Amino acid sequence: MSKDSPEEESRAPGSGGGGGAGKGGSRRNRADDNVTILTSSMDFYRAGRSRASSSSLTSSVELSSSSLETSIQTRIFKIIVIGDSNVGKTCLTFRFTGGSFPDKTEATIGVDFREKPVEIEGETIKVQVWDTAGQERFRKSMVEHYYRNVHAVVFVYDVTKMASFRNLQTWIEECNGHRVSASVPRVLVGNKCDLVDQIQVPSNMALKFADSHNMLLFETSAKDPKESQNVDSIFMSLACRLKAQKSLLYRDVEREDGRVRLTQETETKTNCPC
Amino acid sequence: MRKHKRKKQGGFGGSENGCVTRESDCGRKHKLTVIHQALIRDPVDIETLRRTAATKGGLLTDELRRKVWPKLLNINVYDLPHKPGRDVRENHKDYNQVVMDVRRSMKRFPKGMPAAERAVLQEQLIDIILEVLKRNPQLHYYQGYHDVAVTLLLVVGERMTIALLDKLSNVHLRDFMDATMDSTKHILNYLMPILEQVDVELHDFMNRAEVGTIFALSWLITWYGHVLSDFKHTLRLYDFFLASHPLMPIYLAATIVLHREKEVKQTECDMAMVHHLLSQIPQNLPYELLIGQAQDLFEQYPPSLLAKRAALQSRKSLSISSFQAFHLSTLHQRPDSVLQRLTRAQDSTTSRHGLEASLPAAQGQLWREGNRMMKMAVWGLSATLGAAVFAVAQTAMDWGPDLILQLF
Repeated sequence: MSKDSPEEESRAPGSGGGGGAGKGGSRRNRADDNVTILTSSMDFYRAGRSRASSSSLTSSVELSSSSLETSIQTRIFKIIVIGDSNVGKTCLTFRFTGGSFPDKTEATIGVDFREKPVEIEGETIKVQVWDTAGQERFRKSMVEHYYRNVHAVVFVYDVTKMASFRNLQTWIEECNGHRVSASVPRVLVGNKCDLVDQIQVPSNMALKFADSHNMLLFETSAKDPKESQNVDSIFMSLACRLKAQKSLLYRDVEREDGRVRLTQETETKTNCPC
Repeated sequence: MRKHKRKKQGGFGGSENGCVTRESDCGRKHKLTVIHQALIRDPVDIETLRRTAATKGGLLTDELRRKVWPKLLNINVYDLPHKPGRDVRENHKDYNQVVMDVRRSMKRFPKGMPAAERAVLQEQLIDIILEVLKRNPQLHYYQGYHDVAVTLLLVVGERMTIALLDKLSNVHLRDFMDATMDSTKHILNYLMPILEQVDVELHDFMNRAEVGTIFALSWLITWYGHVLSDFKHTLRLYDFFLASHPLMPIYLAATIVLHREKEVKQTECDMAMVHHLLSQIPQNLPYELLIGQAQDLFEQYPPSLLAKRAALQSRKSLSISSFQAFHLSTLHQRPDSVLQRLTRAQDSTTSRHGLEASLPAAQGQLWREGNRMMKMAVWGLSATLGAAVFAVAQTAMDWGPDLILQLF
């Protein structure tokens, strides 16, 4: 997170829409492809691509987080971001919700919360991102509260630190330990791809791991502005997949004597082409 | 919210926000004299020092903080730990985490500070933290501990920071330094009962939202150092907390939530929304007012009263249980002039190692830290060499505080 991207210069300008894919999903194509989704399943790959392009349309949607008028129903999509300390969880969530890479981020203490409204097929969905502390002691007793009712989990590792990749197993076990249902989608994110000459975790190794855990793999850099599309696509692909799934929480705003009631929506929607 | 009636104890010069400059000048001068007199009393007048640290403006200057902070924690400034050697970084389980946290804690340093100078302080910070952890194998590093350490370092320098941090870690911060954070959670559990005592409606609202208390976690374990951007506010709070019960940061958290009561109630009753609102601490809080309110709450609803509640009974706080002994230990401190004589006498009878060892270290520090640290070194030197000057000043203070006042 501290070095300039050495590959920034070599990038073709205006490749913002995302480059083409190779044959099969399992390849890394950072040099000319803004959207680098690695998966051995072509279906997943395509799905990721289409979502990524929808994200570019919606990331500029203007919304106010307090636009809660009576009888407006806003679906809320809650994502928790976990992984070792210093892998770039905070930067990643900043990049998605704020669009920029913060020049100084500090250790996260406890849990931080960020929110971004996105539009998927005409429906505005609030994506809540819970950014957690990486130090073990915090997650053992503090973070559990925030695993409740999560709709998706983002596991982050640092591609330049093998240890952060190896620890994913512990994170997965922990996540399962918090009774996160198996149907909750999980994605794996390898961050800091801009540090090309320091990469320790080969893509194929990460891919194998992701496959064995039924996760999509994204390799990205929260720091590189050209990768911001990619960061969006991580969250957007999840949002889209969730839209297609059942049990996405409705924030049903019924104001009665100033009280707000939350209800759970369990209806299945299948209008997302995933 | 029930309003707190606050009797101003030791307050001076006018109302909370609109005091006439001359009056406040006068109050400031008066406070400086009071602090100086408390420092030279034998034993040191610790109650007065505590009171002045908590009342308006706190300890006023960094120069005074360097004199009063050690007294508040019962530290002999003439017998400070030596600079940690290189070996402090070897084989420590928390080394990597400490380095990661300190290296990215740029925000904590003054904006105009040259990068090279900041880098030197950051390396010192790593050494300090590891040194204290090495001295106390029972303690475990937590993210946020570095925010406490940096606040001390920026005021009192490396060696005194080790002494202060060591003491704080064994008393005030002790609960946060267990192997797990269960004790920290226990301390956070005091927050809702305090709110319930003052504003049931607010308390119920927050309960309904299931917001929990994690929004106050970084406030508690860093003494707000992690969330305040203006260092002067952080110092003001550190003066207050150093002079208070270990649970005081939780009482302050309660006053902050109560202060924002309207905003909270207007927010959607939802965990995320309320957490988001509360965790964003406003930077322009009326600290003097809130400090006074926190003290009132502490008097009205002391921890012992709150601890009768079921949720708080299950666990024992080491910070609270060690505080009593710590408090007693601070009551019989000798003033610096006496400490200096005693420490020196002890040095010459036992061995001369201490002085010899500390001298090259002091020089090394000077060489490494450049101008900013010069002030500190001069202060250190004057402390070692200026016994006579101090004695004269002390006598003068006893005879004519007004005369000394002219110097300020």
